[in-house]
Amino acid sequence: MSYSVLNTKKFIDVIKYRWIWLIISFILLFPGVIAMIWSMKVYPTHTPLLVGIDFTGGTIIQYSVDKEISTAEIGKIRLDLSNNNIDNPVIQILKPTAKEENSQIQNIISVKTKFSSNGQNEAIDKVSEVINKDYPSAQLIQVNSVGPVLGKQLFVNSMIAISLALLAIIIYLTLRFHFEFAVVACLALAHDVLFVVGVFSILGLFYGVTVDSLFITAILTVLGYSVNNTIVVFDRVRENLKFYSKKATYNELVNVSVNQTLARSINTSLTTLLTLGALYFFGGVTTKDFVLVMILGVIIGTYSSIFFANTLIALWNEKAEAKKAKIGE
Amino acid sequence: MKNKIIMFWAIVILSIISIVIIKVKPIPLGLDLVGGSRIVLEAQTTDTISKITQDMMDGLKSALENRVNAMGVSETMVQQMGEKRLLIEIPNISDPKLAREFLGETAELEFKKPVLDEDGNVKSWEPSGLSGEDLNKAAVGTDPAGRWIISLEFNGKGATKFAKLTREFKGYPIAIYFNGESISEPVVQAEITGGNAQITGEFTHDSAKKIVDLLNAGALPVPAEIIEENTVGPTLGADSLHKSKFAGIIGILAVMVFMLVWYRVPGFIANIALIIYGLIVFAIFKIIPVTLTLAGIAGFILSIGMAVDANILIFERTKEELKSGRTLFTAINSGFDRAFTSIFDSNMSTVIICVILYFLGSNIVKGFALTLAIGVMVSMFSAITVTKNMMHLMFGTGQLKHPFLFGLKDSDINEAYEASETQRENAKFGVLD
Repeated sequence: MSYSVLNTKKFIDVIKYRWIWLIISFILLFPGVIAMIWSMKVYPTHTPLLVGIDFTGGTIIQYSVDKEISTAEIGKIRLDLSNNNIDNPVIQILKPTAKEENSQIQNIISVKTKFSSNGQNEAIDKVSEVINKDYPSAQLIQVNSVGPVLGKQLFVNSMIAISLALLAIIIYLTLRFHFEFAVVACLALAHDVLFVVGVFSILGLFYGVTVDSLFITAILTVLGYSVNNTIVVFDRVRENLKFYSKKATYNELVNVSVNQTLARSINTSLTTLLTLGALYFFGGVTTKDFVLVMILGVIIGTYSSIFFANTLIALWNEKAEAKKAKIGE
Repeated sequence: MKNKIIMFWAIVILSIISIVIIKVKPIPLGLDLVGGSRIVLEAQTTDTISKITQDMMDGLKSALENRVNAMGVSETMVQQMGEKRLLIEIPNISDPKLAREFLGETAELEFKKPVLDEDGNVKSWEPSGLSGEDLNKAAVGTDPAGRWIISLEFNGKGATKFAKLTREFKGYPIAIYFNGESISEPVVQAEITGGNAQITGEFTHDSAKKIVDLLNAGALPVPAEIIEENTVGPTLGADSLHKSKFAGIIGILAVMVFMLVWYRVPGFIANIALIIYGLIVFAIFKIIPVTLTLAGIAGFILSIGMAVDANILIFERTKEELKSGRTLFTAINSGFDRAFTSIFDSNMSTVIICVILYFLGSNIVKGFALTLAIGVMVSMFSAITVTKNMMHLMFGTGQLKHPFLFGLKDSDINEAYEASETQRENAKFGVLD
């Protein structure tokens, strides 16, 4: 194969090693999918992710503490709360990534319990009493409580939002490109979302990480970013097909397009990761998981736009051409 | 060239206007950054109220507005959401439980009359027909002994009812119930006709004032239940704001350093474009105005990454054109036009997602979608005007004499692969053919 017409350096042969890329994608997605199926079996909510109070209803009460808290201490807090008639308390310790010497918020004790519309204040008072006994400096910093009805509505609304976003993107890409590009872009997008959701499903199983409505926002952003990345490569394929389709084969053109956009793909991901990294390491505790979703999404989105999407578009074209040849016979 | 200079000054003026707007107008901060309560109440049907009507919701809304105002904080908001829900936002409160105390209570004041047994002792209490609805106003005061009391002033109907009640039970106790709890059981000394009464209970100033505020605000026309609450204490809010600002600055500086090292002079231009971009976005935030929340800040910081993407696309494309031996002027123009189809399509897809999020999402999601959409659209504008014009002004025409200015090596130039012609007119709209 010679690329005299479209000479580029730094050559990655995406088409030649396409089975390798598909296997890598499989390896990346498989554990997450297993975790999701397992989660649906073991969680009482039968959801693929460990869902937070935004979806199930419940109350989270958070206190800032100016010292470290050990696992044994968490157990003690849980026991004390249960003894004080707090229903099924779940304790979590949140830590800011970057330690600041003079910050009042060194650690956050987060207590999750059931939602009660009346008698909420008494419940908060009780929890405060228990916490303050062991940690006199603890300060009530956040109360978040969601009724069960509202939680279900949020879940349904989120699913509607995601489906509509997918549909809108398919329509837009079919108008601007071709139907096959639209389908492949959506497959790449599903690939990326599945990976991120899978990682959080694993984190939920092993570390009790829950997802909330901010998670949905982050997933939708990953969706946008993924499409964004794929479009840039496809735009190049579209352009090269237009000008060079007589001088090179489809696969050659796809390969060249990937390589021509490679510097951009890497640099854009790097700059986005720089800002997200800053948010993750120096930003507030409450947005840490939100930022982590986007970091994972940017990395997998870059991978899929270079390797996964183009492998699929080449495969699709081969199938279509084989079909044409057959009809021609 | 003349157009370019006019454009340059237009950008300078736009930047100055943006700075003035940013300086003059304050940016409203969300509850998660200043601390405060966000509560959703739902009107409940009862045995007597089978359907919630809009009139009831209006009554509920004004009663809650009165209560929220009684808390004495500014910039509160009560707003109807859907058929039977109210969203209430109260910023800057220091005690996370305060809002719930004020909103959850129904404020039912009831005078009860005794049911007497044969010996004249009180067997039980029954409603007397006199309630909070018959009140004109309530006030906090002190009695001669210096104890806190609540003085009540009845309206005409209430005064008649109260006179009748005190005449009938002269010498016996009556009970005053507040929210189902007896707060005082005074013995009637004489018939009271003036329509004024005093409640002497075991009050502190605060507990008396709370009851008075609730009474004056009026009882809720329908019972309402809190179905969602998010209260952020001021410490956490301040901490989040401080950290997000810091993270944003670090993130932007890191991006700028990267652009400068990798793209040299164009990188410098991109950084200036980024600063102008930031100014315009913030000015728009203030004009609309967008309430800045934690998710909103995250959306803005993410849009910086996307704004830089437009520049990266243009520069990479221009570099390709230069490598194929074009003059600076045509390389910049066609690099820009070629890149623009991708910028347009990729940004449009992001905007589409933002629109869907804005209309379907919860409040947090809305803020995020709005900031991201504004960011993406301004980034297209800044790529078209700022970056392109400054590239032309900086580099002029002719051949590129010093490839390192673009982060290229001498050997890269004329390394030539075929570059196709672009149809410029169409490319402007993101269409190639």
